[in-house]
Amino acid sequence: MSEAALLEVGGLDAGYGPVGVLRGVDLSVAAGTIVALVGSNGAGKSTLLRTVSGLLRPSAGTIAFAGEAIAGARPHRIIDLGLLHVAEGRRLFRRQDVHSNLELGLYGTRLDRGEEKRRYDFVYDLFPMLAERPAALAGILSGGQQQMLAIAQALMRQPRLVMLDEPSLGLAPIVVDQVMAVLQRLRAGGTTILLVEQMVEQALDIADRAYVMQNGTMIGSGTPAEIRAGDLIRRAYLGAVSDRPVP
Amino acid sequence: MDPDLLVGALTAGSLYALVAMGFNILYRPTNVFNFAQGDLVMLGAMVGATVITVLGLPWFVGAGLAMLAVAALALLEEKVAVAPVLNRSATGHGWVITTLAVSMILANLVGLGWGPDPIAVKPPWPLSTETFELLGANVSSYQIAVVVVTVALVLGVEAFYATRAGKAVLAVAEDRDAALLRGINPNRLSSWSFFLGGGIAALTGVLAAPVLYASTGLGPSLLLKGFAAAAVGGIGNNRGALIAGYVIGLAEAIAATVLSPGYQLAATFAVMLAILLVRPHGLFGRAEARTV
Repeated sequence: MSEAALLEVGGLDAGYGPVGVLRGVDLSVAAGTIVALVGSNGAGKSTLLRTVSGLLRPSAGTIAFAGEAIAGARPHRIIDLGLLHVAEGRRLFRRQDVHSNLELGLYGTRLDRGEEKRRYDFVYDLFPMLAERPAALAGILSGGQQQMLAIAQALMRQPRLVMLDEPSLGLAPIVVDQVMAVLQRLRAGGTTILLVEQMVEQALDIADRAYVMQNGTMIGSGTPAEIRAGDLIRRAYLGAVSDRPVP
Repeated sequence: MDPDLLVGALTAGSLYALVAMGFNILYRPTNVFNFAQGDLVMLGAMVGATVITVLGLPWFVGAGLAMLAVAALALLEEKVAVAPVLNRSATGHGWVITTLAVSMILANLVGLGWGPDPIAVKPPWPLSTETFELLGANVSSYQIAVVVVTVALVLGVEAFYATRAGKAVLAVAEDRDAALLRGINPNRLSSWSFFLGGGIAALTGVLAAPVLYASTGLGPSLLLKGFAAAAVGGIGNNRGALIAGYVIGLAEAIAATVLSPGYQLAATFAVMLAILLVRPHGLFGRAEARTV
């Protein structure tokens, strides 16, 4: 475990009603890094993010963010600590325009006008295509623009850690590259990122560390080089065919 | 067409639009259609009429007390009959039964407390229900005031939805989980919306009293016509409700003269069905909006 862990999850059990999804999940995200979380559909990646952000209550285990215990806390309290979740499927407010979506990213904050303007300038600089059409309804934007807007909305709070759930889903390869470039820029600015991705190669390319999930448990972690060298990915996506090391 | 008819249609249509706006205010953050809305309007009229006519206090005191009392009652309804149902399942339909129950309880309690006799209410000074001639129609200053107040209220409420808090209400309406993830507390916005919707309902009742008399029968009739205005205007759309209120008011007035006053309610629903047949989400509704 890293000594400078910003997010620390230990022995986490969670699920939907009586159906358990996560079993004994451990995860540690060091400040200032990009951590990739990969695994096949149904492995429990989204459930883990939903539990960390307070949408689901864990049935057991601990979650600590910046030294505070947040397991079972209400979402708005977790957000106030600087932990933001960009949910899967570009969950924007599609009937409101770009600027209003960004404004809702500031909901509940009390900032002076100058600081608010700096926040808008920051995200408009990061995503120039949003600056071009602030009055466009979010619902008519392209998939890539919607994903950028969803990320920008979370960034309005200047989070310490952003959790992104499959930002590349349904996007053209060139747009995926743009999103990955933005994530690297954010890390350079000091933002910590937990990235859930199906596009394993792209995620490993930019990550400092990666975790692999399967059937609601963590089956391993390591640096991208270690993950590439081992057979965790093959096991996670194809099932545990054999316990013998790959020749 | 008789110009007097147009005046009556505009006055009645304003009241229908206000009832519809009360529906919409509660509907936006909760997706709940409050079946007790007509009874909240009726209770507002009864409380206002009692304070003004029976106790003889000034009109504004009556209106204020009625709004406060009914807003508090609507808040109680939210806590007891709506929030527990939504917390169990945000997309369930248990609220159909619970808000209907609130409607029945209110109607019966008010019936016990006030009795069946309607109470006449005088409009606030300097307004009067005495008519004078304006552009060939017989108009009272109170009728003009009702229309002006209605339009101002609709514009005022719509201006609220352009603020950050208002946008948050619209966000909750669209995606409750996504709103939670941006720090918006849907339960708090629901409570406030019920409080505001209750206040608007009471004001509608107090405004209706000089025209329609305050009586326990006010609830069901305004519930139906308000619902028609909300549906025709597009559920959740207050500007739509305003236009739709006038459309229904006119349809009623025309049916009353061309056919007979007995066909007023039939005309309301004929217009509603015809418009919904062509535009299933109402005149100004969006295709994504959920209908009841």
